[in-house]
Amino acid sequence: MNEKITEAASKDNYRQEPKVGVYVCHCGGNISDIIDVKAVAEALSKYPGVTVAREYAFMCSSNGQDLIAEDIKNLGVNRTVVAACSPSLHELTFRNVLQRAGVNPYLHEHVNIREQASWVHKLDKAGATAKAIKLAQAGVEKVLRKDALNAIRVAAEQRVAVIGGGVSGMRAALSAAGKGLEAVIIEKGPRLGGKLLELGKMYPSGETGPAIVKKLSDLVLAEGKITVHTSAEIDFVSGFVGNFKINFKKTDGSSAQVKAGAIVMATGYEHYKPAKGEFGYGEDANVVTLPEFISLLKNSPADRLEYSGREIKSLALIHCVGSRQVEGVHKPQADGRLNDYCSRTCCTSALHTVNQLKDKYPGVRVYDIYRDIRTYGMKHEEYYDKASKDGVLFMRHNEADQPVVTSDRTGHTVKVKDVLTWGEELEFKADLVVLVTGMTPADITLIKSQLKLPSGADRFLQEVHPKLRPVELANSGIFVAGAAQYPMDSTEAMASAGTAAAKAAILLAEPDIPLEPFVAVVDEHKCTGCGLCPAECSYDGALMMGEHNGKKVAVVNPALCKGCGACVAVCPTRAINVAGWTLDQFDAMVDAIAKE
Amino acid sequence: MSLEKIEVDALVVGSGIAGLQSALDLADQGYSVAIVERNPSIGGKMISLSKVFPTLDCASCITTPRMASVSHHPRITTLTYSTVDAIRREGKTFTAAITRKPRYIDEKECISCKRCEEVCPVFLPDEYEQGMGAKKTISIPFTNAIPQFPVMHPEHCIRCGACARACPKDCIDFLQEPAPVEIKAKAVILATGYETTPMTAKKQYGLGALPNVISPMAAERLLAPHGPYGRVLRPSDGMTPGSIAYVQCAGSRDKSIGIPYCSRVCCMYAIKQAILLSGSLPIADITIYYMDIRAFGKGYEQFYNNARAMGINFVKAKVARITEDENHNPVVRIEKQEGTSGPEEIKHELVILSQGLVPACDGSKFGLGAANNEFGFVKLSDETVSSAVTDGAGVFVAGTAKGPRDIPDSVVDAGSAAIEAASYIRRL
Ligand SMILES: Cc1cc2nc3c(=O)[nH]c(=O)nc-3n(C[C@H](O)[C@H](O)[C@H](O)COP(=O)(O)OP(=O)(O)OC[C@H]3O[C@@H](n4cnc5c(N)ncnc54)[C@H](O)[C@@H]3O)c2cc1C
Ligand SMILES: Cc1cc2nc3c(=O)[nH]c(=O)nc-3n(C[C@H](O)[C@H](O)[C@H](O)COP(=O)(O)OP(=O)(O)OC[C@H]3O[C@@H](n4cnc5c(N)ncnc54)[C@H](O)[C@@H]3O)c2cc1C
Ligand code: SF4
Ligand code: SF4
Ligand code: SF4
Ligand code: SF4
Ligand code: SF4
Repeated sequence: MNEKITEAASKDNYRQEPKVGVYVCHCGGNISDIIDVKAVAEALSKYPGVTVAREYAFMCSSNGQDLIAEDIKNLGVNRTVVAACSPSLHELTFRNVLQRAGVNPYLHEHVNIREQASWVHKLDKAGATAKAIKLAQAGVEKVLRKDALNAIRVAAEQRVAVIGGGVSGMRAALSAAGKGLEAVIIEKGPRLGGKLLELGKMYPSGETGPAIVKKLSDLVLAEGKITVHTSAEIDFVSGFVGNFKINFKKTDGSSAQVKAGAIVMATGYEHYKPAKGEFGYGEDANVVTLPEFISLLKNSPADRLEYSGREIKSLALIHCVGSRQVEGVHKPQADGRLNDYCSRTCCTSALHTVNQLKDKYPGVRVYDIYRDIRTYGMKHEEYYDKASKDGVLFMRHNEADQPVVTSDRTGHTVKVKDVLTWGEELEFKADLVVLVTGMTPADITLIKSQLKLPSGADRFLQEVHPKLRPVELANSGIFVAGAAQYPMDSTEAMASAGTAAAKAAILLAEPDIPLEPFVAVVDEHKCTGCGLCPAECSYDGALMMGEHNGKKVAVVNPALCKGCGACVAVCPTRAINVAGWTLDQFDAMVDAIAKE
Repeated sequence: MSLEKIEVDALVVGSGIAGLQSALDLADQGYSVAIVERNPSIGGKMISLSKVFPTLDCASCITTPRMASVSHHPRITTLTYSTVDAIRREGKTFTAAITRKPRYIDEKECISCKRCEEVCPVFLPDEYEQGMGAKKTISIPFTNAIPQFPVMHPEHCIRCGACARACPKDCIDFLQEPAPVEIKAKAVILATGYETTPMTAKKQYGLGALPNVISPMAAERLLAPHGPYGRVLRPSDGMTPGSIAYVQCAGSRDKSIGIPYCSRVCCMYAIKQAILLSGSLPIADITIYYMDIRAFGKGYEQFYNNARAMGINFVKAKVARITEDENHNPVVRIEKQEGTSGPEEIKHELVILSQGLVPACDGSKFGLGAANNEFGFVKLSDETVSSAVTDGAGVFVAGTAKGPRDIPDSVVDAGSAAIEAASYIRRL
């Protein structure tokens, strides 16, 4: 693996006299409404080592960035501290400013005086200001001790591995291949297509699920740059951006490995499975879920809606089953959490299905029990209209008043407290109850734990930022497409998968990928070769004992090191440090904060 | 006037978040891009929003860095204050005829010092602030605008010459003419965005004549950190409103005005504004009159639940009519869908109409073969297989140009338009 690293973090010492520029941002009013930004700039301008300190409305705007660039040009500023929002939002923005102005981008320190001062001390303006000054001064101390770092560059496999061969996976592979990259789809099922294989006529096109799958899979099979592995069970995934390795078992028991520079997670969703007894499900055969009803409708004879040989003359749909759950009303899931999210597609799918039912069997009575009808798509309101015109009886309940399904020998009774008739308790009989079930994420525990992928409270894979980086996971080189991220319909999955492919294409646009240089660095003079640190490291191959000039020392593989710092804590001689986050820097920061 | 010529891989029309992101996603793959924007600044609607759901980040904080990345990108050329007059297809190339509108200043010399703006004696209503507040006849459009050039509005200018005397670089040019530009590109991305349905759309809601019935864009500006008044007040008398109401689906889901579809974002922006309002006006009563709350995106239901926990009133009701009393207090006639029966009239001090989204530009007018759907948004050729390919070869679409959607969905669209355009260019 070492030979792939073309350039390790180099620590060429910065020889110029340090001149620090400090920039205090108002963040609109997010900061300046609480913190006296002028006072902060004023205090910092007098701090040792600081050449200039300014405040500005939006440091991240073009004007704000230009302020810094001009100070670099005109005043010779060669290190910067920006006291503003959180570094996760804009540290990169300012590093780029330094880079453009010809200064090493890592000679920048981002101090968070929004989340750490103005937002949390709204009632204590003076205290918040004093804290902001301390934090900024600590930032100055840190930046004065920073080294010019260089990004680590690793050679990247020019190939995208797509895990999951549903519509999202196929689209992601097609888009990546369209751009000229090789793509490999690894699907655990026997066929490409995912959940669409089971669905009937789909909104909005009216085409069937399998017909849509065929269009996409024909394109996939015709594309020479895409390799497909079906019935592939992934058992081990490892590596890092540019160099992932995905091992899987095939049906014949043999194993195979795919090497890839980027991974697209397109593992989709599972239908919510109601708990035994939830609205009678699992206890009463005449309570089914929406996907079960979709196949029942597909397979029913032309003259009558039939279920287990019996004619269905009336049915009741209950929306939001397994979605939009509320504390105190719904039972938590096995992991103790509630599915408090909306599954987005089920209202539209339910009404679209009811439209088809009414076209085929106009005589069937339909009751639709809902909380909000969420047919948000461009033409989806038409399904709602048509259902009303077709005589579907809509009933609406509040979340706290859940409908109740009881069954006895005469059939089912559904009780609803209907707000549309001013809260009257309605009671009616239905031959079949259809639970409009939502989505839960596919079970990808193994991959998630091996790659340490983040998920949100809803258990779906969690993007870095919904607007700035909507398909990127925090793990560099891993992207998410389709319903693996959140419930979405197949047209929305097309957009998400295309974007995941675009991000992979951007990542692999050059043969090697720059990585952050924040990795452990060993000072060979101080290292006594005691061997304590490798035992602390939980990343295989990142830290091992080796040799330097004939002396036994700890050796770091910068491509595998995550910069977690676990090794730093155990070293008795302070020989190992994480670049950009050294112990000396922290000591100086603590001293600055503690100083009276 | 000599013709300025630009040759790029892709032309992006519109610089809202969808246009900016598609340009970046193409340029970061190595393609050259030209963006044409009709407004004086890039950034589209998003740059004028206050904070954005569901994360409540300040809109500027996440739009400005995108704007800055675009303006600093070595492979992206931006033309602002420019109109696309025509795009012709010749074989595999598109040739776009663009007109740079005159700002009446020399952009090569201007150093954005704002001296002209300071001395200009003529004020106009500021359209960036939705007509609230005033700006000078020559002025930089707003604090974060990119580029930072002033624009002069000759129809209001009294030719006093103050700006010309104040300008240290001698850039004021009263006689500046529109300048033609020709852009050759291999692919086109339409990211022309949306407008809100007009305030005058509905007779029953006062046709825009009731002073304290305002648009949601105006509410965004009232709530913005750099807003026109620096605080929330109502237009008729500057009073701090104590009772505020939102009327949902005002301009959507309404066949009577020809907009049967749901605009997707108005439930969420109303909830967001209500949350922000209860932050800045802690004692105000806030009511949202709605038919269905459509909080369907990731984290949106939780956002809605938070709003309810904060005490915002959600009332299931149709608003039949809005009138006003003698003090310009809007009076809302509602038919409740829960609780008591019969219509009721309720007085509020400020009402916001949750307007819907309509297309900003007729994409079919460029004659590129990219057809519209029945509502005038750009139609996809087959949305079951791609989210960006239109009926016109080499023409792609992103963001609200293809229908109402929120920022996360627009950003996701943009990447997909970029990769489709890249694949198309590669295969030419
Ligand atoms: C009842 C219902 C009706 C619907 N109707 C419509 C409709 O009419 N129109 C519409 O547009 N959308 C509809 N949808 C939504 C639609 O089903 C989804 O948008 C679509 O399936 C998402 O595609 P995907 O590829 O992201 O996920 P999936 O279809 O779930 O595909 C994921 C794929 O990944 C594979 N996979 C999972 N884990 C692994 C692993 N560890 N290793 C390898 N492979 C793995 C799975 O086997 C599967 O093939 C409906 C949804 C429901 C619940
Ligand atoms: C009141 C309100 C509040 C909102 N709040 C939120 C929120 O909190 N969170 C959220 O996610 N979403 C919110 N939205 C939705 C959000 O505004 C949109 O999703 C997003 O701005 C769409 O971006 P866009 O690039 O598609 O369109 P736009 O921002 O409209 O950009 C289109 C650009 O194209 C330009 N243009 C159009 N035609 C031409 C032409 N012919 N030539 C050159 N240029 C042209 C326009 O001038 C414009 O700059 C809100 C919407 C409203 C109305
Ligand atoms: S889409 Fe409709 S049925 Fe599904 S969870 Fe949301 S509100 Fe409930
Ligand atoms: S910083 Fe963490 S990952 Fe890197 S060598 Fe030390 S313990 Fe291992
Ligand atoms: S000449 Fe016109 S633009 Fe210039 S200062 Fe006078 S009024 Fe303003
Ligand atoms: S005074 Fe001249 S240089 Fe300054 S902003 Fe106005 S036009 Fe530009
Ligand atoms: S998003 Fe809400 S307010 Fe807007 S049209 Fe849809 S239902 Fe009405």
